[in-house]
Amino acid sequence: MSTGKYLRVNGTEYQIPGQWLGRRLLDYLRHELRLVSVKEGCGEGDCGACTVFVDAEPMCACLLLCGVVAGRNIITVEGLPQDFRQRFAQLCEKHGGLQCGYCTPGFTMMSAWLSGGGTETGKDPLDKLLAGNICRCSVYQQLKKVVAELT
Amino acid sequence: MGSQVSIIRPSYLPEIELFRPSSIDGVFECIKDGARVLAGGTDLLPWASQHGQPRKMVWIGNVEPLHGFSVDDERLQIGACVTQGELIRCADFRRAAPAVADSVQFVGSVQLRNQATLLGNVCSASPAGDTLPALLVHEAQVEITGAPGQERQVSLDDFLLAPGKTMLAPGELASGVSFCGLRANEMSAYRRHTERRALDLAVASVAARLVFEADGYTVAGARVALGAVGPTALVAIEAAKSLVGHPLTGETKSICAAIAAETCKPISDFRASADYRRQLVKVLVEDVIGEIEQRARIFKPNGEGR
Repeated sequence: MSTGKYLRVNGTEYQIPGQWLGRRLLDYLRHELRLVSVKEGCGEGDCGACTVFVDAEPMCACLLLCGVVAGRNIITVEGLPQDFRQRFAQLCEKHGGLQCGYCTPGFTMMSAWLSGGGTETGKDPLDKLLAGNICRCSVYQQLKKVVAELT
Repeated sequence: MGSQVSIIRPSYLPEIELFRPSSIDGVFECIKDGARVLAGGTDLLPWASQHGQPRKMVWIGNVEPLHGFSVDDERLQIGACVTQGELIRCADFRRAAPAVADSVQFVGSVQLRNQATLLGNVCSASPAGDTLPALLVHEAQVEITGAPGQERQVSLDDFLLAPGKTMLAPGELASGVSFCGLRANEMSAYRRHTERRALDLAVASVAARLVFEADGYTVAGARVALGAVGPTALVAIEAAKSLVGHPLTGETKSICAAIAAETCKPISDFRASADYRRQLVKVLVEDVIGEIEQRARIFKPNGEGR
């Protein structure tokens, strides 16, 4: 359910200006709130660089209109616990899970979701759950090690 | 702010005039006004970015009754706003409609499934739509609402007309989809072939649902449906018929597969040639039946392989 003109982002409530209701959440987060961890890769839901949590479930901010998620809880990398981000960064360093860094926020969100017990059927392979995040430097194997150590 | 370097790439999605009514009546007013129905948006928004339209959309997520979703032994009823993610997470759904559950898990990614609705995949009517063959073997019916209170049920086979074209007339809303759950001695499955494992459209796909006799071996009834090998997902009636009355053997499986490959109507495109698709159908039909056989072992009287 989403009514009204309020959006809760990383715990703070914002009033969405009327002209933003029919525009993308991705642009609102980057333009208005300057939450630039949310990256635009493909803009059509394939690459996962814009992954944010909407009520604790990962979704692509490039395919959400602000009006559609009004009233719901949005979390971006900036809103993840500091200790989680630190641990993720350390593990990326340890396993070499970071190259150009563009896909990293998306993978960070998915790792946070997975380490919080995120699953679809309860017995999904990691490959399936991370399929929506594309890394063009191709450090998939390293990132899988990072996620495996986190979860 | 003026001197700050712009960190934003322009969005190619035009600004949408978005309506968010909370009742069906409100939705119909907006549709009459020329607004396109927006549910999950995973197909509609990329389309709008590429084509610059539609600019006017009515989001139906605020209409409570469209979120309804019930699974009982006989029939599953899924409202227009139920996302694919919600469905996969439901163990009763996975048990009642294994083919549909298989197919949903091939759609997009975790993120997309959390946004995309099942009915959205139906209404997009892509020839390669993953859920379509699976829904066809589960005898799906699409609920069309013409105006508040005016409802009709159309079989999915009739609903799909051509690539991207459905029976929905202007001013109508697809409000839900219902389909058969598995009954005693029944099993279903869905398989597809893609170039890459995820985030890709099927080159060919096959779903089947088989009913076994009490002996657990002989096929008493069968439905087979094919995806991405025709203008719409196709029901392979003759192929299914060839299985009925026989136990599953290498021979009956390959006869069924050959008939399916003969009766499909693939085209050649950048994904594959028509000939390759026919070969794939053969392989996939045998695969799907094999998968059903595996899953149906529990029906056998001595519990063989359990």
